[in-house]
Amino acid sequence: MPPAYWGRANVFTRGTEREPMTTPLRSDPIETPEVGFLDHLEFLAQLSQSFVTSLDLEATLEQALRGIIRFLKVEAGTLFLLEEDGQALVCRASIGPVDIRGLRLKSDEGIVGRSVRRNSVEVVNDTRADANFLNRVDQQSGFITRSILCAPMAVGKERLGAIEVLNKIGGGPFDAHDMHLLRVMSSSAALAVSNARMAGALVEQERMRRELELAAEIQRSLLPPDGAGDSPIVGLNRPIGEVSGDFYDYFTLPDGRMPFALGDVSGKGLNAALLMAKTASLFRCLGKSVHDPATLLAYINREICETASRGMFVTMVAGTYEPMTGALRFANAGHLPPLLRRTDRSYATFPVEAPPLGIVGDASFENQETNLNGGEFYVFTDGLTEYRYGKTEELGVDGLIQMMEAHAGQSIIDRLRALLGELDQAGWKARDDLTVLAIDDTWAARVLADGPSRRGAAKPPEPLLALRFPARADRLRPVRAGVLAAAQMCGFDRTAAEDITLALCEACENIIVHAYKGRDDGDIELGVFRSDGGILLRLRDFAPPIDPARVRPRDLNDVRPGGLGTHFIRAIMDVAEYGRAPDGVGNLLQMTKRVS
Amino acid sequence: MTNSVSEEQGRLVVKLHGEVDLENAGDVRKTLLECVARKRDVLVDLSGVTYIDSSGIASLVEGLQTARKNGTGLSLVAVSVRAMRVLALARLDKVFQIHPDLATALQSGS
Repeated sequence: MPPAYWGRANVFTRGTEREPMTTPLRSDPIETPEVGFLDHLEFLAQLSQSFVTSLDLEATLEQALRGIIRFLKVEAGTLFLLEEDGQALVCRASIGPVDIRGLRLKSDEGIVGRSVRRNSVEVVNDTRADANFLNRVDQQSGFITRSILCAPMAVGKERLGAIEVLNKIGGGPFDAHDMHLLRVMSSSAALAVSNARMAGALVEQERMRRELELAAEIQRSLLPPDGAGDSPIVGLNRPIGEVSGDFYDYFTLPDGRMPFALGDVSGKGLNAALLMAKTASLFRCLGKSVHDPATLLAYINREICETASRGMFVTMVAGTYEPMTGALRFANAGHLPPLLRRTDRSYATFPVEAPPLGIVGDASFENQETNLNGGEFYVFTDGLTEYRYGKTEELGVDGLIQMMEAHAGQSIIDRLRALLGELDQAGWKARDDLTVLAIDDTWAARVLADGPSRRGAAKPPEPLLALRFPARADRLRPVRAGVLAAAQMCGFDRTAAEDITLALCEACENIIVHAYKGRDDGDIELGVFRSDGGILLRLRDFAPPIDPARVRPRDLNDVRPGGLGTHFIRAIMDVAEYGRAPDGVGNLLQMTKRVS
Repeated sequence: MTNSVSEEQGRLVVKLHGEVDLENAGDVRKTLLECVARKRDVLVDLSGVTYIDSSGIASLVEGLQTARKNGTGLSLVAVSVRAMRVLALARLDKVFQIHPDLATALQSGS
């Protein structure tokens, strides 16, 4: 409320220390005991203004009523609002010798009921002569009502209540002028009530929107972050509304294989989002133990069929990718065929006949197998291919391929982002949730092998040894024997192979001592690979994350033990990279060394 | 592995065998510290060591530090190729006094 307004107006001032319509600030000629026409206008303007700017309806109604009473020079006034069901009138504001707030009348009771029913201003200058006058209120309150002026509050056809003023001071009758004024005032109050109720509805809408936002946030947390981290699998999800019916996910198994999935739930909105959350959780949970994609889809299908609500279904591709070899096995439940982009930029697709999940409980699914051979594999929802320009033109698979190729040379996630940016800019519109999952089969060769000079041309590392063993000092001996032999297979001489064995065992001992901190029930997983021209060792534990910065070589001038093992690793290996395991559980150490 | 301790001309000779790693470095440490505690010069024979890692090296370092505090000596004897390689990696090959064989060690003053 602007202060200047309150400075000029006093019509709503509580108490009696000031007379209505006279304030110290006013100096115009209207300052007369007689209420003039301009005062009416000003009072009404102020009344309307106070309603427009008010946040607290009850308080404002009471102030308005107080102003009305003074303006009309009456002893008392009440304001009744109809209950939502229209059955009762409840007194919400009451000014005068007796406070009757909370008083309930049947909607057709009394003069106020009549005013509301007829939607007309009612004048009763002698209450004793009006059969509708409710004497019991006076009897209860002790107030003596001699005359009543009552105006309905309505906005259009909606009846909201009425304002009633009682007993003109001086005892005279209410005249047509009073009737007219009260009618205008009550209309103004009616608008205020109506607005406040609409504002209430808006607040409710806002609350719903917030809850939806929260749901969207939780849902986003079920997906890996867009284009997350350094991984051969990347994904991207753009919901068209707050929440999405699409999902994708992937993680790494202890043996390095990566299960992945992408799904599209029929329909949109919260129902679809909830089924999406369920399907994504089933994949996360079952995918850790069921590594065969067709079997996994059959399990998830059965589960969804048992509980899914009528008519909803999920199309889904689930698969397992081996970064070290490029081998890919996947199964498709009614989803768009995935695309393979070969290194020569030709594309292949993988059509499918199997039904979506959630329709036939005993459906079976078939695995498809291929090797990516350094290529790229795309699974996407129709939100991508159904990007639309104008009314009919759709992007389609061919359009998608064309646009992706325009950005060849960039990383997959950069290509996808560039493509979406261009579509948006050119005025294409998404019509559905959009989700893409892509596998980059050059990742393993690039990241794990010999560096940028061999990019693309590198052979994938060849697995030589895969071991899982207890993280205990007394279990390292056979590991050493295996690593020593594997290192010699990679072309290292005896001394270098023994050094590599030492580095590996130092890393294991770090895990035993620092990651598992003496617990003897943890496991270590080791993969040894022959890379082009050297060796790759992948060592993984399942312990809480350790800060790689704390695993650093000791200062060699300091002869105390500790950190010496890490120094050995750094001195022996060409590259030793610590990180978290891609699925977020445990630590990963990757070490490489080239044959010199 | 087994650690043997013998006495040769007033010195304690500790002979380590086989693979010295996190599993048995504790035993090595205990043996070395017990010998050092006897306030005699200690010779550690590494000829039979086929593998030694940072935990084994750390035990040797601790023995050497304790001996120095006592004013006695701890030196290495007949260090195997593997153990020498690891000492070199740790840049401790100049920190320890290293004798090619037991006879040379016994002739030397330390």
